[in-house]
Amino acid sequence: MRKIFIISAIIFAVLGIVFTILPLGTIAFLPIGIAVILSFLALQKSKHNQGKLPKLILFISTLTLLVVMGKVVFIKDVVVTDTQFELKKEESKKEDIKDLEGL
Amino acid sequence: MGIMKKIFFLLCFLFTFGQVFSQINSSERLVYAASYNMSGLMTQLAQVTMSTEMIKTSKKSFLHLSWEAATFSKWDKFFKIRDSYETYVDPVTLKPSLYKRDIYEGGYAKTEKYIFAANGRSINSTTRKKNNQETKKTFPIGNSSRDIISMIYKLRTVDFSKFKPGQSASFIVVFDEKEYPVYIKYMGLETVSAGNLGRKQCYKLSIAARTNKLTGKDKNIIWMTADVKKVPVLIRFSIPVGTGQLSLSSASGI
Repeated sequence: MRKIFIISAIIFAVLGIVFTILPLGTIAFLPIGIAVILSFLALQKSKHNQGKLPKLILFISTLTLLVVMGKVVFIKDVVVTDTQFELKKEESKKEDIKDLEGL
Repeated sequence: MGIMKKIFFLLCFLFTFGQVFSQINSSERLVYAASYNMSGLMTQLAQVTMSTEMIKTSKKSFLHLSWEAATFSKWDKFFKIRDSYETYVDPVTLKPSLYKRDIYEGGYAKTEKYIFAANGRSINSTTRKKNNQETKKTFPIGNSSRDIISMIYKLRTVDFSKFKPGQSASFIVVFDEKEYPVYIKYMGLETVSAGNLGRKQCYKLSIAARTNKLTGKDKNIIWMTADVKKVPVLIRFSIPVGTGQLSLSSASGI
């Protein structure tokens, strides 16, 4: 049972890291939360000298959790000025006026 | 709009500078946050901006209605979206003369231009997909057919205060060179959050169309402020690949 908890915790922790890198926002809480629970359960099932790996997964998951929380709080959703897009819009508008003149 | 309230325009008011009879202001700017449902959680993907502007040619004036979508910078590396839908309409009747669609979605690009015939009975279309040649076509349309953008603005001129829950209006929309009937069902009044406008009492309207682009019954819903401006404040949609919503962040020039 301990092994299952550890393997599952590792899978969800890796998934959590991937979700943290990707701009998935709060969705990353899902795999990280599961990884935290599973690593905690693995730690409970571990004997005194077996707690190293579950503790490491728990530490990484908690750290990832903090990173996601930081990203949610401090990084604002912004649209960067796309000069190419803006230029295209201006040219398109000139073309539109020509078309409208012909109507 | 099924029940086209043409008489409505006769009752529409004072012509003031920067404002048109259709009650759509010519310097309006509505900014929305577009979210997509991923595993039950709404994730903000893009910003959608709806804006209006008066354009004058040597012969007449047009109201330029524009709808732009751009992914937030954090998404640009993974799936960049730069969509632009625009239409030039008659400021009074909101009848379209020129419609353009220019989309770029994660590498897929398509442009479309419709020039509506003066009698409103046909469209000269020019389409181009990425790396494909330009295709020109002329196809007939019904007299009341319009593009998707002018339909949304036309919807804002319907007097829903006279509607009873369950009552419908309909429009014919031209999209991808095909005509689709679109049904708008009034579902009643609801108070929702409307960005910088605060909480507003809104008309709740269900949108249905005979197309595979929208799915579910009463799952495509638009909330518009229950006042003369009828600002769309929340739009929930259900498409074959999932669900999402557009929520108003800021409204100016209304």
